[in-house]
Amino acid sequence: MAGIKLSVSGLDKNFGSLQVLEKITVDIQDGEFISIVGPSGCGKTTFLRIVAGLEESNGGTVMLDGKEVTEPGNDRGFVFQNDNLLPWRTVISNALIGPELAGEAQQAARARTLELLKLVGLGGFENYFPRQLSGGMRQRVNLARALAIDPKILLMDEPFAALDSQTREIMQTELTRIWEEGRKTVLFVTHQIDEAVFLSDHVLIFARRPGRLRESVKIDLPRPRALSIKRTPEFVAYVDHIWSQIEEDVRHSVLHEGG
Amino acid sequence: MTERVRHASGLTSLLSIVGGLAIWEAASRFAVDNSLFLAAPSQIVMAIWKLATNGLLWKHVQISAIEFILGYVIASILGIALGLAMAESERAKRIFQPWISGLYATPTIALGPLFLLWFGIGIWSKVLVVITLVIFSVVINTEAGLRNTSERLIEMLRSFGATRQQIFWKLSLPSAAPFILAGLKLGIGRGLIGVVVAELFGSRAGLGQLISQSADSFNMPNLFAAVVVLASAGIAMTAGFTWLEKSLVPWTKD
Repeated sequence: MAGIKLSVSGLDKNFGSLQVLEKITVDIQDGEFISIVGPSGCGKTTFLRIVAGLEESNGGTVMLDGKEVTEPGNDRGFVFQNDNLLPWRTVISNALIGPELAGEAQQAARARTLELLKLVGLGGFENYFPRQLSGGMRQRVNLARALAIDPKILLMDEPFAALDSQTREIMQTELTRIWEEGRKTVLFVTHQIDEAVFLSDHVLIFARRPGRLRESVKIDLPRPRALSIKRTPEFVAYVDHIWSQIEEDVRHSVLHEGG
Repeated sequence: MTERVRHASGLTSLLSIVGGLAIWEAASRFAVDNSLFLAAPSQIVMAIWKLATNGLLWKHVQISAIEFILGYVIASILGIALGLAMAESERAKRIFQPWISGLYATPTIALGPLFLLWFGIGIWSKVLVVITLVIFSVVINTEAGLRNTSERLIEMLRSFGATRQQIFWKLSLPSAAPFILAGLKLGIGRGLIGVVVAELFGSRAGLGQLISQSADSFNMPNLFAAVVVLASAGIAMTAGFTWLEKSLVPWTKD
């Protein structure tokens, strides 16, 4: 069970003369749920995209299971902020795109993906089209699609940011429930501190300009977690601590760069 | 729209058509009392009936239909292929774009007499006119549709390790389908104009020839009969395409 799943060391990234990430070094254990929080412009999404292989780094290495990551591949499942579903495909056929691209046998993949759709709460919706679904349901397809390739790590880029606050809270509990089932390693980017604390084993706090790892906070809260945990003093203390770490940065970015 | 409102607006359209025909009928009977200038709807229906029963109509329709179908199919295939090439290769785009932009804006139908000289009075001079009228809207729409492929969706497929070919077949082509269909639909009207006008320039048979022959002999009912047949064909084909769009690319509606 234990062992390092993802190992990032000395990761640098710049867009032209602007340094976005500076010497990010972090190890993530197998089966951990890790969130990354930080002010806008701290490079958290860029970091995730480099791990996904969608963006190239300018130095340093990303190792997944001891193998260096240089391009996108189906050992990583990416859950996008916008659901990015194909409008002409049904739910099941959208969720099956990963196995299909990899040329996997349709029958086995289909049976497994039907199970996944049930797991994310979409049983019975297999043959619906994206336009017939609500935003929350589309994000569930987005998640099932990433899980369908049975990735070594799940990379989630603010997947609930576009949802209303109630749907978002429901999706957070749903995600912990789904995660408990398989205990996949997850890297979850968000700007919601309470979301990060609620979901994670560790929260990585990024600082900005250049983006760098300020602190890794271990979240010692019992699992499984219910939404009511958000009102406990321990939970609030974690949120306060993390907020105090990024407050200065956020204030600066809001006041001087309009967010 | 509620069922009742939809029903009522359908009724309004129907009344508009019936009313228009009634005014037309009355005008040609009482106001324009000269059958050299106008034919009443009732006379047109009679003319169509006569042409249909003596077999003349089928002869003309057949020739025009062959010219239209040949030109339209060739233009569609070439147009889609050229559009694909231009979307995929920057060089192909640089080579063809100036010609396409230039010729699209040119009334290429004016070249009809020239094609008549080159290819003779048979069907091929008409087929060529149809091709030049249909092909550009197909090329332009195909190319625009393929270039419009969403960057976010390309990235999604890339994250799953998709190859360039997979991105083309599973994303670019289906997302361009509504554009391609719209280009083909546009081509129907342009193609019909092409057939008729090309036949007016010179032909032995066809609905355009029926029109020009009827005009020469001041046979207004026959002239209008040909126009009505053409209009019906255009309306039927466009409606067919609308149905095709609904069943092939339903995600672009509602």
